[in-house]
Amino acid sequence: MPPSLPFIRLVHRNLRKYRFKIGLSITIAILVLSLVSQYIAPYPREGLGYVPVGEESRRLLPPSPQYLFGTDTLGRDLFSRVIMASRSAIIQAFSVVFLSLIIGLIVGVLAAYFKGLVELVLNYLTELFMAIPSIVIALFFRLTLEAGFHVVIISLVTTWWAWYARITYVYAKGVVELDYVVLAKLSGLSPAKIIMRHVVGVIIQPILVQAISDLGSALLEASGINFMGLGLPPGYPDWGVILYEGISEMGIIAFTRAPWLVFYPGLFILLTTLGFTLLADPLREDLDPRLRRRWKLWF
Amino acid sequence: MVLAVRASGISIGYIDEEEEYIVWAVRRVDLAIEEGDAFCLVGESGSGKTTFANAIAGILPPHVVTRGKLYIFDRLAIDESTWNFNGLRGRVVSYIPQNPGTSLSPFLTIEEHFYHVLRDTLRYDREKSRKAAIEALLKVGLDRGVLEDYPHELSGGMQQRVLIAIALASNAKIIVADEPTSAIDANLRASVLQLLGKLNREYRVTLLIVTHDLASTSIVCNRLAVMLAGKIVETGRTISVLRNPQHPYTKMLLDCVPLLGVKKPLKPLPGEPIQVVEDKAICPFRERCPRAIDKCVEEPPLKPVGDEESHYVKCWRLTGGESE
Amino acid sequence: MSSILELQKVTAGYKSVKGFKSLIKRVEIVLREISFTVEKGERVAIIGESGSGKTTILRVILGLLKPISGKVLIYGKDLYSLPSDQRLQILRRIGYVPQDPYKSLNPVLKIKYIVGEPLEAAGVEWRYIGERIREVLKIVGLPQSILNDTAEELSGGMRQRVLIARAIIAEPEILVLDEPTSALDVSIQAQIINLLNSIYNTFKVTMITVTHDLGVAQYLADRLIILKSGKIVEEGSVDEVLRDPKSEYTKSLITSYLRITGINSLNNIKIRGQYV
Repeated sequence: MPPSLPFIRLVHRNLRKYRFKIGLSITIAILVLSLVSQYIAPYPREGLGYVPVGEESRRLLPPSPQYLFGTDTLGRDLFSRVIMASRSAIIQAFSVVFLSLIIGLIVGVLAAYFKGLVELVLNYLTELFMAIPSIVIALFFRLTLEAGFHVVIISLVTTWWAWYARITYVYAKGVVELDYVVLAKLSGLSPAKIIMRHVVGVIIQPILVQAISDLGSALLEASGINFMGLGLPPGYPDWGVILYEGISEMGIIAFTRAPWLVFYPGLFILLTTLGFTLLADPLREDLDPRLRRRWKLWF
Repeated sequence: MVLAVRASGISIGYIDEEEEYIVWAVRRVDLAIEEGDAFCLVGESGSGKTTFANAIAGILPPHVVTRGKLYIFDRLAIDESTWNFNGLRGRVVSYIPQNPGTSLSPFLTIEEHFYHVLRDTLRYDREKSRKAAIEALLKVGLDRGVLEDYPHELSGGMQQRVLIAIALASNAKIIVADEPTSAIDANLRASVLQLLGKLNREYRVTLLIVTHDLASTSIVCNRLAVMLAGKIVETGRTISVLRNPQHPYTKMLLDCVPLLGVKKPLKPLPGEPIQVVEDKAICPFRERCPRAIDKCVEEPPLKPVGDEESHYVKCWRLTGGESE
Repeated sequence: MSSILELQKVTAGYKSVKGFKSLIKRVEIVLREISFTVEKGERVAIIGESGSGKTTILRVILGLLKPISGKVLIYGKDLYSLPSDQRLQILRRIGYVPQDPYKSLNPVLKIKYIVGEPLEAAGVEWRYIGERIREVLKIVGLPQSILNDTAEELSGGMRQRVLIARAIIAEPEILVLDEPTSALDVSIQAQIINLLNSIYNTFKVTMITVTHDLGVAQYLADRLIILKSGKIVEEGSVDEVLRDPKSEYTKSLITSYLRITGINSLNNIKIRGQYV
C-alpha cells in the first residue's frame, strides 16, 4: 500500500475548511501564474531582464493602466517582472523542500531503525549540518560557482535536510519500538519492507505537513539569499532580486521615491508564504488533536 | 440524611468537531448518593461512567453540553447548560485520577504537590501545608519520609496513596476515584481499595468509585449502580445486587469476573458494549440480551424489584412488561 | 512428551547505550539464572508484577534479546547460536500476541495486510494468503467486512482478535501471549480468554502466557511459574500453587487477589470441578 493514500484522505477531509480553501486557492493561483506568466505578461522581454534602450523617461513611473505596478529603476515594467518571478519562487521553494525531505527522511529513518553506531554517526552528522548557516554556504558557492538556481538550492538543501532528518528521527524513534515493528521483525519481513511499511508509512503524514508549511520559509530564505545578490544573477525575474534592485540605484536610495518597487514583490512573497501556511495549518491540527481549537475563528 | 450528590435527569454530551451532532455519554440519569456512602459506578468502556464522575468532580472539558440538574450538598452545580463549580471543585469534591504515574508532576517533590494544592484551595502557607500533609500521609499509611521524594522514587501503589492523601488533606467531603486500581498491579489493588474503604468508614468521606471490576466494588462500596450506554440499568445495595443480580447485563458481568481458585466457566455474551450516538428511547442491552422480547425496543422504567429495598432495575422482563 | 522450549540458567539484562557513554558499557541485570522447561502441548503462565522481568523473559524467548549467559533451547536447538536464517525458521513457529492492542497495530495499514503479513514474509503469494485470512478471521470471530478497514476503526476487543488472527495464521506450534487481557473490558476479557482456550483445544498449540493477574492465569494455564525480581520463586500446577502455595510471595499474591466479597459460596479457595 503506498504511504500516500492516508495523506490523500487527510487532504480530502480538510477540503471543506475555509482556511484550507483559501490556502489552496492561493497556492494554485501562484502555481498557475508561474506556468502562464510569460504568456500573459505585457512586456515578457523586460520581465526576463532586458533593459529598454534609449527610454530613460520610462524610469520610476508610478502604477498606471499601461504599467500596472509602475516601472523600475531601469525603466522595466514591474508587473511583468513580478508575475514572471513566480516561476523562480515555485522552483526554489519546491526543489529545496523536496530534496531536503528526501535526504532527511532517509537519514532520519536509518538512524532510528539501525541503532548503535549508525545512529550515533548519523545524528552527529545531522547536528553538524544544522549548525551551519545557509548564507555562509551560499557565499562559498557564489565565490566558486556561476550565479544561478543551483547556488540557492544547494546552499539551502545543505542545511535544511538536517531539520527533516531530525524530525524524522524523532517520529521514527517513537515508532520503531512499537509492537507492530517487533511483530514484523519476528515474522521475518525484510528490513526494507519494515521500514517502508511500518516506519515511513506511519510517520510520513506529519512530516509531509511540516514540509508543506516549510515551503513558505524556504521561499523566504531563498528570497533572502537572492536579495543579498548571492544567488540568482542581477536582472533575473525573482522577488528577492527585484527587491534588491528596488532598494537602490547606483548608491541612491530609490524605494523612498518609488515605494511600489518594494511593495509589490514584498506583497507577492507575503501572499505565497501565507498560502502555504494556511494550507498546512488545518492539516497539522487534524493530525495533532492537541492543537485543535474548540472556538472558531472567522475563517 | 443529607444527600451528597443528587442528579435529576442529567444528560452529558460531547460536541463533535464540526458541531454537527452531539454524542450523549450520559442520558437522563437520576441518582442520589447519601453523605457517608461508598458508591460505585460500574460499567464498561463507553458506558459514560467516567463522564458522569467527571461531572460530579467538576472537571468537564469545555466542549461538553449538559442538560438536567446536579446538586452537590444541595448546591446547584449544573443547571441545564450552565455550570458553577466554584467553591465545590477541589474544596468539597476531590478527584483521584486513573493513572498515578502520569498524574503527579515529575519535577515537584511530594511536599510541593501538597503545597500547590492546599495553597490554592485552603490558602495554606508552607508550614501549615506541611503539617496537613504529614497528617494526611499518616492516614493513608505512609510516613513523612516521602515528603522529600519525587514521584518516580515511589512505587505505583505509593503514588496512588499520595494522590489519596492530597485529596484528604484538602478536607474534601466527596472523593471521586476514577478506576483507582486499573493502572496498578493485581497484588496492590486490594490494599488501595481497603484504604479507600477505611477513609470512608473512619473519616466519613463520601466515596464515588468508578470501575469496571465488580470484585473491587464488593470490597469497598455499600451501594452501586451499573451503567450501560449512558444509563443506569441496575442500582441498589452492593450485597443485594451481587447476590441477586436482576438485569441480564449485571448477570453477565458477574459471570465474566475470574474468581481465583474457583473453576467456573466464564460466560460472556457475544458482542461489545454499544456506544450510542442518537438519543433513542430503547433498551441499551437489547442487541446482546439473550432474553430480549418485543417490548425491549422501548426504554424500560427504573422500577424496584423483589423484597430488597432500594434495589432498582431497568428491564421489561423483571418489572412487569408483557408476559413471555 | 518432549520439551519444546527450555531455558537453561538464563541471565539477561539491558545495556544502557547513550552517546559517548556507550564506550563504557553498563549492564542492568534483570533476569538471574532462570531455568524452566515447557513441554509440547502445555499451557504455562509466567506470573510477575511490573519490574519482575516477565517482559524480559518474553524478549529472550522471542529472539529479541541475547542473554548474557545461559541457553535458550527451542526444539532442542540453541536459539542464539544458530545462523540467522535458521533462527528465523524457528521463530516462525512461534505466534506472538503483544500486550497493548492499541499500540500493536499499524494505524495506516488495512487489516488484511496486517493479518497476512507473516505469510507474506514467509514468501507465500498474496492470492493464496487471502483465503487463509478469511479462515482465521472466522476462527477468531471477526466479520469479513473489516478486511479493508484500518485498525483505527476497530474497538479494543476487535483489535485483540486481529492480533490473535495474525499470530495463528502461519499455524504456529507455540503461542506466546503477553498480558492478553489487561487492556480490555471485563466482558471482552472473558470472550478473549474463551477464544484462546478454544484455539488451544482445536490446534493443540503450546501456550505460554505472561501476566500479572492470577485470575486470568488460572484460566489460561495448567502450570504456573511465579517470578519475583528476576528469579523464579515458585513453580507448579495451577491447582497445587493455588491450594498450597510454598513461598511467602505466592501466598501474598493469592491473599491480596481481589475477590467478590459478600457472596460466601464463591469465596473459599477450593478447587472444584474441571474447567473447560
